Amino acid sequence: MNYPGNHTHSENDLIQGCINENRQMQEILYHKYSSKMYGVCLRYSGNSDDANDLLQEGFIKVFKNLGKFRGEGSFEGWIRRIFVNTSIEHFRKKVKLYNVTEVQENTVEDQDLTALDTLAEKDIIVLVNELSPGYKTVFNMHVIEGYSHKEIAEMLGITEGTSKSQLARAKGVLKKSLEKRLNTTKNDTFNS
Amino acid sequence: MQNFKDKLYNYEQEPPEGIWNKLDILLDQQEERVEKIHILRHRSKYLFYGLTAAASLVIIFLSSLFFNNKKAFHENSTVAFLGNPDSAQKQRQEDSLNNKALTYIIESSRGKSSIQQTEESPFHQKSYITIAGPEGQPVKISSKVATLIVSADDDYPPKPVWDKKINKWKEIMLSSTISPTATDLLDIVQLSSMHVDN
Repeated sequence: MNYPGNHTHSENDLIQGCINENRQMQEILYHKYSSKMYGVCLRYSGNSDDANDLLQEGFIKVFKNLGKFRGEGSFEGWIRRIFVNTSIEHFRKKVKLYNVTEVQENTVEDQDLTALDTLAEKDIIVLVNELSPGYKTVFNMHVIEGYSHKEIAEMLGITEGTSKSQLARAKGVLKKSLEKRLNTTKNDTFNS
Repeated sequence: MQNFKDKLYNYEQEPPEGIWNKLDILLDQQEERVEKIHILRHRSKYLFYGLTAAASLVIIFLSSLFFNNKKAFHENSTVAFLGNPDSAQKQRQEDSLNNKALTYIIESSRGKSSIQQTEESPFHQKSYITIAGPEGQPVKISSKVATLIVSADDDYPPKPVWDKKINKWKEIMLSSTISPTATDLLDIVQLSSMHVDN
């Protein structure tokens, strides 16, 4: 990728440069992580407009809080957490999740979703983005980022029961969408 | 085959071209805002110090005014007391009356052994008169005993010479065959006439 000052810089140089508000270093950092973080934003927002806003907001937070990075854990992990939190904040502003009493949902095992493995990344993203914002957020947080239901409940301000329920429903919807898609693909193959 | 979770976790997509430019502008605006806040803080710091200094000056000024006024009031009240026209006039009247009484004593006792207290004499207007004592010190005496004062050699103010008079009265009393007492009316009349004679 070509952008000004695109030559090798150590991570520490980049961090220090960004702390010193060196615009060139900020640009290098942006270009280094923007694709990955844009992927995170797209997963949570579901549309490019919101993803663009999230990307800008996330990077502003990154540049503002770089001084707080202690070097514990990977730098990319630290940036990712900022983007996930920014996305969750955005979600909380837009969507109100109502706590529900925990009901026995039709459990969808992860094995039922293994068919997703056969799909390309973009197609999986499309399927996930078809979920409602509540389902999508809980699904992303639990299945992809690995947060526990307790953590999700705290972060989203809901009960653990609601988180579990949202996840079960998300998986159910995703399974249906996946089956539908696979059937369509089969039919297309037979027709051709 | 890569697990769909990993696929989603590592999913990357190139953001639109203009995002960095917008971010660049946003960062500039933020820096300007931060700078403005710094300037405002700096200014407010100076403003705070300025206001504190101004308040201190005002307090010092008001304090000095207060203490000066207090001092001036004290001085004025002293001056007013000293220079009170009523009291000064009263003092002048007092002095004048005293002088009049003393002049009267000098005038009346000239060539006489005692002075007469009449309605016209200034003594009835004055309870006390000030005369010069043996050492020249001012002595206040009752105007009732003013008749005991003579100015033998016209000196001013007249000096009390009642010792001589009393001694003279003693001699008269001792040489008298009758010793008037205050219990008898005739004696009192006689004592009065003796007093007039002397």
